[in-house]
This record gives sequence, C-alpha cells and structure tokens, in this order.
Amino acid sequence: MTLQPASGAKDLNPQQVETNHLLSKRLAEVYRLWGYEEVSPPRVERLTTLMAGEGISNKDIVKLVADEPLGLRPEMTASIARAASTRLSKRTRPLRLWANGTVFQTRETVEGTMSIEESLHSGVELFGVKGISGEMELLTLMLDAMEKLDIRNPASPTLLIGHTTLMELILTNIDGDKTLRNDIKNALLNFDRLQLENISMEENLKRKLLSIQEIRGLPSYVLTQLEKELGKSETLDNLKRLFKMIEPIADSRSIGLQLDPTFQPHFELYTGIVFQLVFKDNSAPIVIARGGRYDGLIRHFGSKGEDAAGAGFSFEIDKIRELLAEEVSNDEKYKKMLVTYNNTMNLEDAIKRQSFWHKKNVVAQVELEPCKTESEAKGAAHKRGCSDFEWLH
Amino acid sequence: MITVALAKGALLKDSVSRFAKAGLDFSNLLDKGNRQLMVPSACGRAKAILVRNGDVPVYVAYGQAQLGVVGYDVLREHQLPVAHLVDLGFGGCRMAVAVKDTSAYKSASDLPPHCRVASKFTHCARSFFNQLDLPVELVHLTGSVELGPITGMAEAIVDLVATGRTLRDNGLVAIEELFYSTARLVGNPLALRLDHGDLQRIIDSIRSNDHPNNFSS
Repeated sequence: MTLQPASGAKDLNPQQVETNHLLSKRLAEVYRLWGYEEVSPPRVERLTTLMAGEGISNKDIVKLVADEPLGLRPEMTASIARAASTRLSKRTRPLRLWANGTVFQTRETVEGTMSIEESLHSGVELFGVKGISGEMELLTLMLDAMEKLDIRNPASPTLLIGHTTLMELILTNIDGDKTLRNDIKNALLNFDRLQLENISMEENLKRKLLSIQEIRGLPSYVLTQLEKELGKSETLDNLKRLFKMIEPIADSRSIGLQLDPTFQPHFELYTGIVFQLVFKDNSAPIVIARGGRYDGLIRHFGSKGEDAAGAGFSFEIDKIRELLAEEVSNDEKYKKMLVTYNNTMNLEDAIKRQSFWHKKNVVAQVELEPCKTESEAKGAAHKRGCSDFEWLH
Repeated sequence: MITVALAKGALLKDSVSRFAKAGLDFSNLLDKGNRQLMVPSACGRAKAILVRNGDVPVYVAYGQAQLGVVGYDVLREHQLPVAHLVDLGFGGCRMAVAVKDTSAYKSASDLPPHCRVASKFTHCARSFFNQLDLPVELVHLTGSVELGPITGMAEAIVDLVATGRTLRDNGLVAIEELFYSTARLVGNPLALRLDHGDLQRIIDSIRSNDHPNNFSS
C-alpha cells in the first residue's frame, strides 16, 4: 500500500499552514484597504468555463469523472470573471473582487508522467476599467502588497512586464501573409533567435527584429529604444505615462522593473499588460505572482462595451513561503500557554483554567498528566513548544 | 553568478573553447585529473556544471543554469522550453534511418507498416514516421542501437551518424536523413528576459566567434 500523498499534492505541516495563513492575511489586509471585496469561486468548474479565455489548455486541467465535462480550477480568474459578467453584472463598475484558495494544475514531468500540482493562490480582479488606469491601479496595488508581505530574502525581486500592444506595434508594418507574421511572433515569444534567423524575409527587417528581440530593461530606456526602431505612437505614450508613475514607487520599495516588449506568457488570454513578479538570486528564477489584462475573456462571458474589461493578478503563497529566509516573525506568532497541575489539583481544574485563558483570547492547552514539580511543568511547556506555562498547585 | 551547463563527451572541448573566447575560462574541466562536476571560471564571474548530454536542456529549462551547450538532436528529442540562441557549428552529425546493407529497403517509406524500429531517440523517430504516415513499433534502447537489425529484433534504427564508420563496421547503411545536428547555445527564457546585459554580452561574444552565416545585430 502506498502511504505517500499523490505526486504534486500539498501535505503541509502546522508551521507551513500558519505561515500560509499569515501571508494570506497580510495580502487580504491590503486588498481590503483598496476597497476590494472577497469572493469564493468554486473549486470545480465546467471545462468550457475554465478554458474560455484560451489561456488554459485542456492538458493543464485536472479533470473529474462526472456526467458533464468538469475540472478542478487551475486558476481563479475564469470563475470570478464569469460571476462578474453574469450575476454581478448589475453591480457598479469598477468592480473590485479578491479571492484566496487552492488551485490545481497538471504538469508533465521530465519522465513524461503527469503530476498534479496543488498550490494556494491569493489575488485580485478589477472589472470595468479600460486602458491604462486599471493597469496603474493593479501595479500599484501589487507593489503595496509586496511591501506588506515583508519578504526578507537576500534575492532581489523584479517586476517583469510585457504588453500585447508592443508586439502588435512590432508586427504592424510587416508586409507579407499572416503565416509570416505568426512565425515571427512565435519566434519572438519563444525567445528562439535561431528560428527568427531562419525565417525567410528581407535582410533589413530581419536585422531590425533581431535587434528588437534584444531590447529589454528599465521601461524608460526600452520605450526610448522602441521609439527609435518603430517611431512615435500613442501606445508608447500611454506606456510612458504608466511607467512614469510606477518607476519611483517600485524604486522606493527596491523592486526592479524590467520591460520586455516580446514577453507575453499565455498570449491567447492576455490583451494588454502582462506581468510576473520574479525573485532571482544564484539559483533559478522563482515567479511568485503573475497577472495581466484579459478583456477578451470578459467579452467571451457576454460583457459588452465599457464593461468588457478585466485585469488582475495572483500571488502564489506556497512559493512565497518557500522564499522566506526566516520563519514567520515572532511578534506575529500567537502566545501559547500550557496549563499544568500537580497531584493536589486535577484535570477538571486545569480545564477550567484553560477556559479562563481562552476568554482572554490566548492559545492555551492542558498538560493531561500531572506535573509533580514546577520545573517538570516548565520542561513540559518547552517540549510542547509553548511560550509560557502555568502550574496549578 | 552565471551558471553554464556543459555536456560531457564529444562537445566539451569545443564548448570550453567558445566560452574562453567570451572571457569565461572553464579549461579546468578538460584536465584529465578533474573529477569536479562544478567548476568556477578563472575570472570568478561564472561557474560551469558538467552534466550528461540529455541533462543540459533540463538544467537550463528549470533555470538552474542560465546558459548551456548541447546538440540539436538532444533538443529535438527532449522538447523542453529553452531559448535557441546560437548555432555553434561544431559537433555536426546526421540523425538518420539505417538498415542492414543487405536490406531491400532503399528509403524509410519502403519499410513495412508496423515494423520494429530501434532507437535512443524515440521522440524524433515518432515524429518522423508520423510525418511519413507510416505506423511503426518503436523499441527504445539506451545504447548500441546497431544491434537491433543485426540481431533481428528490428528492421531499422534511427540514430546519429557522424562519419558512418560504426554503421559500416556493423553492416548497416543509412537510407534517409531526418535532420542535421550541430551544437547549440541555449538559454533559460525567463533568465534571459530578466537579464541586465551580462548574459547578452556572453551570447554576443560567442556569436561573434561563430561561423560567418550568423547575423550579428
């Protein structure tokens, strides 16, 4: 009999759960301050809903055996977007919602087997705000949330940002059929320079595209470089405005900004800004949050006109927990009391005393066997991981 | 610090030489007495990890190495999300279908449907025969694939051919080429997107020492 949890499933110990709660609580406080309301989307959804934005592929979803095609949610955006476009459609826009919960994804391992990846997410969705105003709010909120998370790790975080309009701008003036533009787009998105070199096109265009593929860095620098390559445009002006506001905020919080014109993960889903918050030190980069604008998904769920706008982001709590250089800071840990008693008292007395502490909102547990001496009681408290003890005698 | 994944074996000497031209000296890896699997560069800016051929794209895809050098054959076989950066030109060989030299099969499409084909590169073989619309039974072997047709276990093999001598010595002949493979410089896409120029400078240096057909932007 196999006694291990299923591959990829989370089976956390109490300390890890406590840290998860604490991180979720810190994020929730920020979301509430910004006027976001909590929702609890379903864990089980129809596959058509989960794959609505085309950002999630069929193979990524853990499917359930049921009379209709159902799956476990691989992320929460689709369910919240559906709710916003249907039963919450009459609510005034902007509609600000947040959610915290477990998501499930299947992942192919290097051995070729499938593994279920379970993770705890906490994120926000903003509906009914078009253009860069929504993006300004989201990025500022994310930077606020990062500050509140107080991740003390020697690695430095970077906010990696792309924008679908930049790719459109790059592809706009390319003559030729759709296949050529698609090949170029795929090569740029996959960072496949060799593929780009091998596509048949004019030499000047090829050199220009190869040069564009290497443009990334501080937004102000990147936008200037793009203006040189592609000329002035409203898209670039809008992005300048966005980053003029974001750059000093990120700087003051020691978060690096990296604008990459060809960065577009899940390009089928996102229809505007797309971003990932990444920690990078000597080992592999770790993405702790991701998000973007997904107006197409909202339109798919029936919203029209000004209402057909949605954007959001989601933090991956488990990854943040693994990043923490130290455990949860002590001041936020609960005081934990152990109530002990000697042979002149009994368990009933101890339980009454425990109730006294509970009324004072102090975590208290009872040592079920009597402790003959005070030092024995102290030893028991230490053994049980309690910060304090009381010896009834 | 930058980590580079290099493959043990035939590609190592040329790989070390390319990185040396880019200012990263990993020549310690070539010492016969060397048993270390991770060595720092002489300048201390980078380190190289020495891994098996098939593991190079794995280390790069998972992000433990930002750059790596590996044959195109391995990249085609493993299909991992790595950025293909420079065709380094060395380590050239052909991925080919081979049969016994006494066989009547003159091309891959002559092979009978559902025949057995032995290979280390089953993914490459599968996609090749799928394109031909020829159903075959692939037998995965981990080495000495030439024994497949010799022992009668398989009608054909799909394997790498450099000079063709091993095939000849074992009474086999290549009848069709799947693709030509050379060593590639690959990178972790996310690490490249987060790069502030350190990785790009190395890539540019390696590219400028590359064969003349490459574009230099």
